[in-house]
Amino acid sequence: MTEELDLMGQDSDGGSEEVVLTPAELIERLEQAWMNEKFAPELLESKSEIVECVMEQLEHMEENLRRVKKEDLKVSIHRMEMERIRYVLSSYLRCRLTKIEKFFPHILEKEKTRPEGEPASLSPEEFAFAKDYLKNVALKHMPPNLQKVDLLRSVPKPDLDSYVFLRVRERQENILVEPETDEQRDYVIDLEEGSQHLIRYKTIAPLVASGAVQLI
Amino acid sequence: MDAAEVEFLAEKELGDLGPFNPGLPVEVPLWLAINLKQRQKCRLLPPEWMDVEKLEKVRDHERKKDTFTPMPSPYYMELTKLLLNHASDNIPKADEIRTLVKDMWDTRIAKLRVSADSFVRQQEAHAELDNLTLMEINTSGAFLTQALNHMYKLRTNLQPSESAQSQDF
Repeated sequence: MTEELDLMGQDSDGGSEEVVLTPAELIERLEQAWMNEKFAPELLESKSEIVECVMEQLEHMEENLRRVKKEDLKVSIHRMEMERIRYVLSSYLRCRLTKIEKFFPHILEKEKTRPEGEPASLSPEEFAFAKDYLKNVALKHMPPNLQKVDLLRSVPKPDLDSYVFLRVRERQENILVEPETDEQRDYVIDLEEGSQHLIRYKTIAPLVASGAVQLI
Repeated sequence: MDAAEVEFLAEKELGDLGPFNPGLPVEVPLWLAINLKQRQKCRLLPPEWMDVEKLEKVRDHERKKDTFTPMPSPYYMELTKLLLNHASDNIPKADEIRTLVKDMWDTRIAKLRVSADSFVRQQEAHAELDNLTLMEINTSGAFLTQALNHMYKLRTNLQPSESAQSQDF
């Protein structure tokens, strides 16, 4: 359906991606980011370039629909496609906001102490949301003598030892599996492309960030 | 991820329907095919694997083996449900197909329960589950991961830990 829209060669503005994505690939990326965010116990890197491109694409589609003659079937098909994209996008953003609310002191702390060059976990809007949440929601209802340091201690951190399911996109070798009990020993496994696994998030977190595995 | 969301992903699968130009089958995503079918604008052609003999072979193979065998489609459950609910008139022997697919599902979920049980008992740290579909993983997975997470917390709280982590029950 999207081949009919003249959107080939759309570049991502201001993002670190220099790759040109077709509309289909862009939506694929959005869905991957959505699933990863859903299943990851912590807030993942902000994918603002994808979000911005998807919103632009939705605007293009809206414009195209306005130009087209009132042909009922085609218009409603495009609208359905747009609704599907909007659903994934808003689900993705809501998932992130829920995590921001849940872990806000740790997220704000991490952002404050983030080294130069490391990608941000929050988009500018999300950062504003988090700070606002701290001021107007959290602190407003706390006793006056509560300091931010206490928030870091009393608000639970994301549980990076949670188990997750994943599918392997790029082959990985020698991933260390830590034992559950003291009697067991560490062992290494290879992750074959296309295979699916159940494992603790902490070990494979960098692979999620790099795109080598997909959480499912 | 709930079942509706897995179904959402399954709906992207491409299937044949006819006709746009009368008589010519066209490949479109399932969500579109179902919508057009609901508006009575087309006929759906079932996927090649949705055939009684083929499914019987798959089901028998699944019952024989202890492990999970590859399924004809990563979305076999959702596709069967969607197609049989909306286009059973286009699918020969729809009832038999429904039963066969349900058999396959039940067999696999039972195997999954057994594996999950032994995984937790033996306190494994890792499992490979190549032939499981997304719907199967999401149906049983949430419970399994929560159980594992709780057990891990209980175990690590028996030993004094270096960092005073707050507990999130």
